[in-house]
Amino acid sequence: MADQPTNETVHTLTPAPPAASHAARISETPLPRKPKQDRAPEDDPGIWRMSRRNILWVGGWLAFFGFIVTSTIGALRYMFPRVLFEPPTKFKAGRPEDYVVGEVSEKFKDEKRVWIVREREGFYAIIAICTHLGCTPRWLPSDNKFKCPCHGSGFYKTGINFEGPAPRPLERAYVGIADDGQLEIDRSVKFLYEKGEWGKPGSFLEYKG
Amino acid sequence: MLTQLRDQFRKTEVYKSIFRHSYQDTQRNRALQIVDNVFLHLHPVRVPRHATNLGYTWGMGGITFLLFIVLTITGVILMFYYRPTAQYAYEDMKYLMNDVPFGPLIRNMHRWAAHAMVLTVMLHMFRVFLTGSYKPPRQFNWVIGVILLVLTLLLSFSGYLLPWDQLAIWAVTVGTNMARATPLLGHEGPFGPELGLRPDNDVRFVLLGGTEVGPPTLLRFYVGHCIFLPLIATIFMIVHFWRVRKDGGISGPPPGKNNF
Amino acid sequence: MQQFLEIISKPDNIPIVLLLVSVIFFTWLAWAKAKKNDSQQIPEEAKMDDKVQVWPYLVRMEFLMSIVVMAVLVVWSVFLDAPLEEPANRALTPNPSKAPWYFLGLQELLVYFDPWIAGVVLPTLIIIGLMAIPYVDINEKGNGYYTFKERKFAILTFCFGFLILWVALIVLGTFMRGPGWNFFWPWEKWDPHYVAVLTNVDLSEMIGIPTRLPDNSLNPVAFLFGGVLVFGFYSLIPIYWMMKRKTEIMKKLGPLRYNIVAFLFLTMVGLVIKILLRLGPPILGLNPVKYVWVTPWFNI
Repeated sequence: MADQPTNETVHTLTPAPPAASHAARISETPLPRKPKQDRAPEDDPGIWRMSRRNILWVGGWLAFFGFIVTSTIGALRYMFPRVLFEPPTKFKAGRPEDYVVGEVSEKFKDEKRVWIVREREGFYAIIAICTHLGCTPRWLPSDNKFKCPCHGSGFYKTGINFEGPAPRPLERAYVGIADDGQLEIDRSVKFLYEKGEWGKPGSFLEYKG
Repeated sequence: MLTQLRDQFRKTEVYKSIFRHSYQDTQRNRALQIVDNVFLHLHPVRVPRHATNLGYTWGMGGITFLLFIVLTITGVILMFYYRPTAQYAYEDMKYLMNDVPFGPLIRNMHRWAAHAMVLTVMLHMFRVFLTGSYKPPRQFNWVIGVILLVLTLLLSFSGYLLPWDQLAIWAVTVGTNMARATPLLGHEGPFGPELGLRPDNDVRFVLLGGTEVGPPTLLRFYVGHCIFLPLIATIFMIVHFWRVRKDGGISGPPPGKNNF
Repeated sequence: MQQFLEIISKPDNIPIVLLLVSVIFFTWLAWAKAKKNDSQQIPEEAKMDDKVQVWPYLVRMEFLMSIVVMAVLVVWSVFLDAPLEEPANRALTPNPSKAPWYFLGLQELLVYFDPWIAGVVLPTLIIIGLMAIPYVDINEKGNGYYTFKERKFAILTFCFGFLILWVALIVLGTFMRGPGWNFFWPWEKWDPHYVAVLTNVDLSEMIGIPTRLPDNSLNPVAFLFGGVLVFGFYSLIPIYWMMKRKTEIMKKLGPLRYNIVAFLFLTMVGLVIKILLRLGPPILGLNPVKYVWVTPWFNI
C-alpha cells in the first residue's frame, strides 16, 4: 500500500483479489540434517556405544520429564494436608435409658449426622448420609422410613434401601458403652451391610433396659 | 471556532502519535482502522458478507466473549467485599446485598451473566454444529471449543458455592458427590475400595480439601473460580480466536459458486 | 398450576425459560434456513461470499449487539435479585435439592443410573464424543452453510442428544421434579408428603432369576444373564460392521472411526433403553427395572 491516503474507491462491497499467502511461498522441504560430529566408533560394544551427545540428549530429556512428573506429583500431594480440622468422629450420646424403645433419635443428626435407633434388643447407629449422593435423608416417623430429599431414595428403619436410586443400605456406625456408662458412637468406624458387617461387634449394642 | 480548535488539535504531535491515520472515509482508512488497533486487529480487514449476517452467525460466540469480560469486571468488583471463609462468606453476601450501594446490581449482573454465558456457549456450539463449521480445516478449533465449554461449566459451578447459603452448599454437595463414584479414583467407585481409596485420599478430596463440603472447600473453589480457571480459560480463548483467523476466518461455503 | 407459574418465574429459573425459548427459536431458524438451502442449487450463504469491510460493517454489528446485551443484562439485574437463601447448614437438606440448572440433565440421569455412570462415565463420554465429532464425521458436504438433506444422520443424532437428552431433561428436572425428586405434572401441586410406590427389581428378577441367593451372595446365573445382555448389546458393533463392511461409506469410514461412532451411538441408545426400562413397565403394571447387570464391583 502507498503511504499517501488514496481516494480511489469508497465502495466497499467489491470483492478483493485473493492475496497470496505467506506460508505458500515458504518451501516445505526439510532442512538437511547436520552430520553428527562425535559419532562413537562402529566397533564399540554395549552401552558405551552411546556417544557423549546421545548421553546428554537422553539425560537431558530424562531430567526434563523427571522434573515435570515430580512437580505434578508434588502439586497433587500438596492438595492432601497432613492434618484435617474436622469435628471429632467419636462422641458420647447420653445414657442408654434415656432412649425410648422403638424410636429413632434425631438428637445428634444436626451436629454429627447420626441417628441412634433403640430397639427392644439394643442400639444401633445409622449414619445420616444417603448412599446415593450424600444428601441428608429425613426420618419420617409416620411412614416408618428414611426418605432422601435429593433423589427420593427410601430406607427402612434398619437402614436397608427399598426404593429410589440408592445402590446400597445406609451405613451403620460403631456404638458401644463408655466407661462412665454413656453410649459411645464412633462415626469413623463404619459397618456396611453389603459386606456382611452388620453382625460384627460394635455394629449393634445389645442392651435390655 | 470549535471546528478550528479540533483541526488544530488534530495537527498536534500528541494526537498524531495516538491516531496514526486520518478519519477520512476511504478504503485504506477503513483497513487501517482494523490493522492499527490492538483490539480490533483480532479481525481481518475484510470478511465475507455472510459473516455480518446475524441469521447465519447468531452472534453467540461474540456475546459469550462479551459476557466473559462482564464477568471478569463484575467479579473483580465483588472481590472487594467478599472473604472466602465459612465464618464471613455469608455475612459478606448479606452486607453486599443490603448495605453496599450498587452491591446487589453488581452481584446480580455477575450471576445472570454467568447463567447467560452457559446458555450462549451452548447455542454457539449448536450453531457451529448445524452449519458444519467444525469440518476441515476447523476440526481442532472445535476441540478447543469443547474444552472452553467444560471450563465455562466449571467456572459457573465453582462460583455456585461462594455465597455459602443452602442453595450453594447442597448443589455443590450433590455435584461433587459424583466424584466419590469415579471408577478407579473415587472411594465408592468401581474398583475404588479395592485400590485402598478412602474419603480422605480420593479424587473428591482434591476438590473439597476435606471429607465433606466445608471451609477448606470454600477456599479451594474460590481460588479455582477467581484465578485458576479464568487463567486457563483465557489461554484457551486466545488459542480459539487465533485459530479462527488461522483456519481461514469465519466458516462459510467453499468459495466459488461452481462447487454446487 | 399456580405453583407451576411460581416455579417458572423464580429468578433462578429464568435462564431455563430463556434456554427453552431460545433453543426452540434457533432450531426453527436453522430448520427454515436448511430447508431453503436444500430446495435450491446454491445455498444462501454462498450467494453472500463477496467481501465487505470489517470497519464499519462488522464492527458496527458487534457494537450494536454489545449495547443490546448490556442493556438487557442491566435491566435484568435491576429488576431481579440473585437468590440468597439461609446460611449453609449441613444437617438440613432442602427438599428437593437440585444441582445448578445446566447439570440437571445429568442429575435426572442419576435416577436411572448409579452415580459412577451418570456422574462420571457419561459426562466423560459426552466430552470425548463432542471432541471426536470433527474427526469421525467424514462427510465433506455441508461445511459452512445450513443443510439437512446432505447430513441427515449427523444432524438427527446431534439434535437428539442436545434437544432431548440435554435440554428437555434440564427442563424436566427444573419444572417437574419436586420434593423427593418425584415427578409432578405442571398442574399438580408439589406435595412434600407424596409417596411414590417404587419397588425396583433387577431385569433378571423380572423373568424369574433372583439376583441374590438366599445367603445374600450374587447369583451366578443372574450375573451371566446381565453380562450376556450388555455384551450382546455392544456386539451389535461388529455384527453391523460385518454386514455393511463392503459398502462405500464403511470403506471410507474405516474400522477405527466406525468403532468410535458405533460405540458412542449405541451408548446413547442404551441410555434411552435403560430410561425406558425404568419408565415403561409401570405403565404395563409391572415393577420398574433397577439394574440390567449386577456384578460384585459395579451395577449397570
